[in-house]
Amino acid sequence: MIRPATARRSLLIFVLPALAIYLGFAVLPLLISIFMSLFDTGKSGTGFIGLGNYIYLFTQPVVSARFWNALFNNFKYFAIHVAVEIPIGLLLAALLTGGTLSRSEGIYRTLLFIPATLSVVIVGFIWRLIINPLWGLVGFPLLGNQLTALPTISLMGVWQYVGIPMVFLYSALIAVPNDVIEAARIDGASPWRIFWGIKFPLILPQFGLIVILTFIWTFNGFDLVFALNGSAPGPNYSTDILGTFFYRTFFGSSGQVADLDLGATVATVIFTLMLCVTAAYFWLVQRRLKAHSA
Amino acid sequence: MQSKQWAATAGAMLGVSLIAMSGAAVAQSVTLTLGSWRTEDLAVWQDKVLPAFEAAHPDINVEFAPVNTNEYNAAMQSQIEGGAGPDLITCRPFDVNNEWIGRGYFTKLDGLAGLENFDATAKAAWTVDGATYCVPVAAVLAGFYYNVDIFKELGLSVPTTAAEFTAVLQAIKDNGKYTPLAVGSAESWQLAYNGLYSIGPAYWKGEEGRLGLIDGTKKLTDADFVSAIAAFQAWKPFLPNGQEALSYSDMTQLFTLGKAAILPDGSWNINQVTSTGLNVGVFGPPAVEAGGQRYLQEMPDMAIGINAASKNQDAAKTFLSWVSGPEFQQIYVNTAPGFFAMSNQPVKYDNALAQAFADLKTGALLTPRLALDRLSAGTPPLDDETWRLLQVMMTSDTTPDAVAAELQAGLSSWYSPQSAQ
Repeated sequence: MIRPATARRSLLIFVLPALAIYLGFAVLPLLISIFMSLFDTGKSGTGFIGLGNYIYLFTQPVVSARFWNALFNNFKYFAIHVAVEIPIGLLLAALLTGGTLSRSEGIYRTLLFIPATLSVVIVGFIWRLIINPLWGLVGFPLLGNQLTALPTISLMGVWQYVGIPMVFLYSALIAVPNDVIEAARIDGASPWRIFWGIKFPLILPQFGLIVILTFIWTFNGFDLVFALNGSAPGPNYSTDILGTFFYRTFFGSSGQVADLDLGATVATVIFTLMLCVTAAYFWLVQRRLKAHSA
Repeated sequence: MQSKQWAATAGAMLGVSLIAMSGAAVAQSVTLTLGSWRTEDLAVWQDKVLPAFEAAHPDINVEFAPVNTNEYNAAMQSQIEGGAGPDLITCRPFDVNNEWIGRGYFTKLDGLAGLENFDATAKAAWTVDGATYCVPVAAVLAGFYYNVDIFKELGLSVPTTAAEFTAVLQAIKDNGKYTPLAVGSAESWQLAYNGLYSIGPAYWKGEEGRLGLIDGTKKLTDADFVSAIAAFQAWKPFLPNGQEALSYSDMTQLFTLGKAAILPDGSWNINQVTSTGLNVGVFGPPAVEAGGQRYLQEMPDMAIGINAASKNQDAAKTFLSWVSGPEFQQIYVNTAPGFFAMSNQPVKYDNALAQAFADLKTGALLTPRLALDRLSAGTPPLDDETWRLLQVMMTSDTTPDAVAAELQAGLSSWYSPQSAQ
């Protein structure tokens, strides 16, 4: 028998490596970044300015306009993912578990998941060629129009990552107990009724989770936009999202000094926003969902 | 057991210190690191430039340490602010470097042997209050590559005035076989750098207009600037279909495949433009009227300065003296075609197209890109706004007047010589 003291010590030993890496590479940089956002670097060196960077970010007319524009675009980017990627993922997951694909299920599951394993640079490159007015299939300059550019990029992201909600919901669906479904079938429920009346309520916690994960992924989004449109994504910043706004601020460009302090400020604002939304979701929604499924 | 480990450790430490001591005894050599954003130049420096320097200075090793272009400014700033950073820093032109000079990143180069090889205009991008902080390495030029065979086939000659330029474009368009101008608006920087800043100086009279903006005597809403923007907008009918979404590399491709007659571009693209063996010529931006003054965009691109915190100041100065001399200039511009020496020492270009580009300087007044000197050191930076608004103009119905008005409003919102009036 293991004594409680020994158990506690071995627990500590097992947790310590992961905890050290987490503290060193996630928590510490985060704290340093928050700390950095309170300073300003200029010709007279680096000085403490309190919330000066935040005031500048939200009140300087040009900078704040770019920030709100990026935030608004980011909500659109998220909304398109939620409205298109998750329903399609749910549909695919339902089809995969529907029982009609008994033998090819594995093949479809793999094929649909493959794009998610591709590099974003490759996805961006392939799609840029496919919709290229000169070499591709679409005559309309989708990426050169302020109205269509962001939806186009969002749909490329949807194409790439639709496999993630699919696999996520798929594994939730196969975990639904068979006896419940059989009972419903004996009672004469149609497949449609079974899905919406039994399966979907049972996977609702996972459904909610994939929505909040999509929120986190899209608000951390950067790579696809950067690969397609660079760090000043046009036209007229119509595809600028928080990730590219941060990158531009932090790294500067050939003609712009890198503003590390303001970049850290932007990063902190993004982090706070995501923390609040995620926390609110878990406190208000996810807890109740769990109660339902029990 | 323990004593054995001790002995092994002690032995290893002794060995290491002996090696270190013998290394120090053999040569008092100094190693300098050179920070750069030109990752693509690794071979140029390692195989050509640095061996030539080290042959003459065996006691100094120089290590070329490039950083990804996009991250260069942030990398240098965080390193230098943190007390580290390379001994030698590649200098961005104008506003970025002025800020860096102001922050004390560089050692002043007054009295450096070789600095006399550069005129004041060549040093201007790296000079603050009369003191120079970086040795100019290279400038880039902007002009128009053209497909000589297409010009022959259609019986066209190189245009020298704005009217002739439009006539040539119209003739190519009427023929219908080729795209007259390979320009796409997907990447906004090149609308400014290869478009407006190239043809514009003929309208705003080069330095006269540029310095006028800087000292506040001219405004972007003046007729000269508006007509320059209008002349650029007039390219629209001659661009490929769907140009709004076409990128810079699409355009290089269209031209190198022989499907477009003219490619407005920078000298840095010489290698790519000739990569398919096309018969390529180059002409400068047209004058506004027959017999009018020609202008050419010569943009100081890079220079090298010494990190003020470097412990090897003397060795770094030796290196920079060599960089300012004809040997370096000759090697550099010929291993990296498309870059042009800025010194007043004669340099010969082996690449025929590079020589043709250099010849465009004769008889033309030179001017750097419009918005990078002082006018982009605030928010919004004039250069960024120019990129953005030119892209808006080329992808929508926005007029040159509206573009000029918005540019002026942005500039006068923070730049005091402009807002005072």
